[in-house]
Amino acid sequence: MKLVQPHWDEAQKAEFLRRRRARNYLLLAALAGFSLMIYLITLVKLHGAGVGL
Amino acid sequence: MSNHSSDLFYESGLAPHLGAEPGDWLALLKPRVVSLVVFTGAIGLIIAPGHINPLMGAIAIFCIALGAGAAGAINMWYDRDIDAVMRRTTTRPIPAGKIHAGGALAFGIVLAVISVLLLAMATNLCAALVLAFSIFYYAVIYTVWLKRRTPQNIVIGGGAGAFPAVIGWAAVTGQVGLLPVLLFLIVFFWTPPHFWSLALYASTDYEKAGVPMLPVVKGARHTRWNVFVYTLILFPLALSPWILGLTGWIYGITALILGAVFVYYGWAVLRDSQDAAGVSLNKDQPAKKSFKFSILYLFLLFAACAVDHVVRAHL
Repeated sequence: MKLVQPHWDEAQKAEFLRRRRARNYLLLAALAGFSLMIYLITLVKLHGAGVGL
Repeated sequence: MSNHSSDLFYESGLAPHLGAEPGDWLALLKPRVVSLVVFTGAIGLIIAPGHINPLMGAIAIFCIALGAGAAGAINMWYDRDIDAVMRRTTTRPIPAGKIHAGGALAFGIVLAVISVLLLAMATNLCAALVLAFSIFYYAVIYTVWLKRRTPQNIVIGGGAGAFPAVIGWAAVTGQVGLLPVLLFLIVFFWTPPHFWSLALYASTDYEKAGVPMLPVVKGARHTRWNVFVYTLILFPLALSPWILGLTGWIYGITALILGAVFVYYGWAVLRDSQDAAGVSLNKDQPAKKSFKFSILYLFLLFAACAVDHVVRAHL
């Protein structure tokens, strides 16, 4: 398969960029949420194991 | 337009899509199915003996939801060809052209792995293994293996929706007990009358897609009998936790009433005005009522189980 450039007008291009930005923000939020959960699990587990925090 | 590499697409013969909205990715997770899974998973967590840190409990429910959503995304990836044919599913993100099939598969696999790992970290290995098996069961055993091969697809596939209560229980106790196994069996035997009631009035869609649902393969009359027989099997099964002393009278009375009403609806489906082939002359009204009641049945039965447990714990 070869790479092609889509023939979009300005409005379509802007809409594409908006959607891509929304997806990237969502991905960032998901990664941050995942990291936060790992952090919280670690805190609870360490506390349960008697490690002072 | 700039010639930046992100503006380039691999030539596929199709017009490049503008890209998916976040809501399209969410739709891949089958939110309505996930809401039921969250509910039954939470019930498993509540009725389990022992204690779980509330935060870990919340993460466990999140993982159950994520795992179910991941299985849903893999299901949509595999079923994209028949989804494009069935009226009910043509608007799903893949057949609608909003999300690339490969992207949906990757999304499903990544979420499945994350949900299992996270559950193992937050709770225990037993719960994580049951979650992993439930994803495999739905995505591979049901979707890939059974759905297009046998009219009994729904019977065996019902197991997929029956796991969350077991996972919730295992998250607290670290093992699988008799009560969650009975709840598993209840959902397992609830699924056929639930789906076949729907299939009775949506069978043309399945026929068009070549999915061997019971009304398509065996006809409406045979399906009506099966709906009724499964409500009969479900009746004593739903009472068994009470009979075995695992739940109290709140659950028992609820199961008795709900079971009797479900059997009545099953009977109404069987006795519906029909032609020689068993096709309804009544616009399938009994089947529609049976389908709607089946959802209420499961919700109330599981809610009664949780209420019963909480009341007994405080007496």
